[in-house]
Amino acid sequence: MTKKENLLKGFVKENPLFVSVLGMCPSLAVTTSLENAIGMGIGVFFVLVLSNLLISLIMSNPKLAALVKPVRIPVYIVVIATLVTIVEMVMHAYLYDLYKSLGVFIPLIVVNCIILGRAEAFASSNKPIDATLDGVGMALGFTGALVIISIFREFLGAGSITVWGDLSLNLGFIFDFLGIEPIAMFVQPVGAFLSFGLILAALTAIGNKRIEKAALNGVKANG
Amino acid sequence: MHIQLGEVINMNNGLKSGLVLLVLGIICGTLLAVVNSLTALDIQKNEEAAQFAALEEFYNIDDYDLSVVEVNDDVDSIFVLRSKTDNSIEALGYLVSGKGYSDVLLQMMILIEKDFTVKGYSVVSHSESTGFGVDILENDFGVSIITDLSGFDSVAGVTRTSEGIQECFYIVSQRVTGDFGGDLDD
Amino acid sequence: MDNIIALAFTAFIAENIILSQFLGICPFLGVSTKRSNALGMGFAVLFVMLISSMLTWVLYKYILEALSIEYMRTIVFIIVIASLVQMVEIFIKKVSPGLYKALGIYLPLITTNCAVLGVAILNISKEHNFLEMIVYTTFIGLGFIFVMYIFSMLREKIDKAPVPKAFRGIPIALIVAAILAIIFSRFGGII
Repeated sequence: MTKKENLLKGFVKENPLFVSVLGMCPSLAVTTSLENAIGMGIGVFFVLVLSNLLISLIMSNPKLAALVKPVRIPVYIVVIATLVTIVEMVMHAYLYDLYKSLGVFIPLIVVNCIILGRAEAFASSNKPIDATLDGVGMALGFTGALVIISIFREFLGAGSITVWGDLSLNLGFIFDFLGIEPIAMFVQPVGAFLSFGLILAALTAIGNKRIEKAALNGVKANG
Repeated sequence: MHIQLGEVINMNNGLKSGLVLLVLGIICGTLLAVVNSLTALDIQKNEEAAQFAALEEFYNIDDYDLSVVEVNDDVDSIFVLRSKTDNSIEALGYLVSGKGYSDVLLQMMILIEKDFTVKGYSVVSHSESTGFGVDILENDFGVSIITDLSGFDSVAGVTRTSEGIQECFYIVSQRVTGDFGGDLDD
Repeated sequence: MDNIIALAFTAFIAENIILSQFLGICPFLGVSTKRSNALGMGFAVLFVMLISSMLTWVLYKYILEALSIEYMRTIVFIIVIASLVQMVEIFIKKVSPGLYKALGIYLPLITTNCAVLGVAILNISKEHNFLEMIVYTTFIGLGFIFVMYIFSMLREKIDKAPVPKAFRGIPIALIVAAILAIIFSRFGGII
């Protein structure tokens, strides 16, 4: 796999949220606003990239790897938990409003299956540079997925999209034009499950169409 | 002989692993202690800023002598606003937490003037997890004199939040007479 | 007493761990149609939740707070949970190899179950006393089992129904979860 393929696979082909369906818990909760989605994305990015890098560095050293192997899962967990705690403290100090919005989901990054999953499946058996690229790609893919869903939910549910802090895009005029109110249920638990279900179904349908097209082309080519 | 050797090797492995985890734990603990010392001050400032913002909504702090009493008992702390001329208490800002039946822990700032009227209040923080959305209301809850809570009007549809607010008002009403009457003068 | 009953009700339905708080989604979506597996999984989670919440609560109140190292909360909590799950695994393997085999990969995955760590942290952030912590955790766990059970029954029916191709599997499961979520959220107004 080339370095470029390694980086880009997390965007679409192996998108952790849409394809592997990992990291659902925080996703349902933080996609109520774009700001929250971006904030969670930043946190996950920091933890995933550094954890992949650190774990790859540890496991690349034969002596260390041999020491760590029998207890590698606890070791990964401690490393990840440390990184998550740093994110917690930094957000608490410098991004206070985001910290309050994301609440319990910041410490819960430590049990986000994506991070432990990549550590075990990729970082532990690849070189540090590759592990870092993998982390970057997966984190950006995850954030992208969160952004898409939060734009969908926030627009339909609140009529505006909060980009960051006081910067927000008020699209209420679209609703006024259509003569309806924003559909509040989209920013509630119901809407979370509904949005995810609809978006995943849409993506599956698109994926299926592509497979059919490819199969059709294959048949044509073979005459 | 064989078995004993095997057991010894296993123990050594277990010991090795334990040691690895211990060393790792110490490294991580130290790292976090360092980060903590860097961020702790800013964290405290953030928490206090929310409280002072609530106070400053209703009073110009510069017009008074402000002191903060840490209580950490029925109320969390009391912001005492004394007159600059005769040091008597003009108003008290109560930082108080309550959750009623609903398990939504609210921290409020309730401002009481020396004639026991409720100057104002605001919710400083709450413990609801993301996804709920606490409706923090621009509502006066029907309480104008803190010692008379009979008019407390909880708003339909947000009963769970109202319960926490009601408990906060109740706690304050229990101690307000004593505080203005001299309990705080020492 | 009223307080405790309201707390139990809230934990079970109004603030249901899966349908309101979005914790424990992974096992929820992965639950098999075999109801016995859903129940076995549920009770394993309840057990780990309860013991870990008790241990973490005590550790937080009497060690972390006393030493002013509250920031170590996440690390300490997850280590407690991981160790507990490891011990439960060893125990079940010895006592009931059949159950161990049936639970398979889902047993070690309890460590990464957001609900377990989530409840431990929520007990602290909601400033529960010991009794409130026990009641809250127990009913959160029971709520988890309840929803998992209902869902495994529904999934059985769904798997036999003519679902559009794009919706099969997770998407339709999420739509059904949405309907369950509305039903559960209506109960919030009762308190």
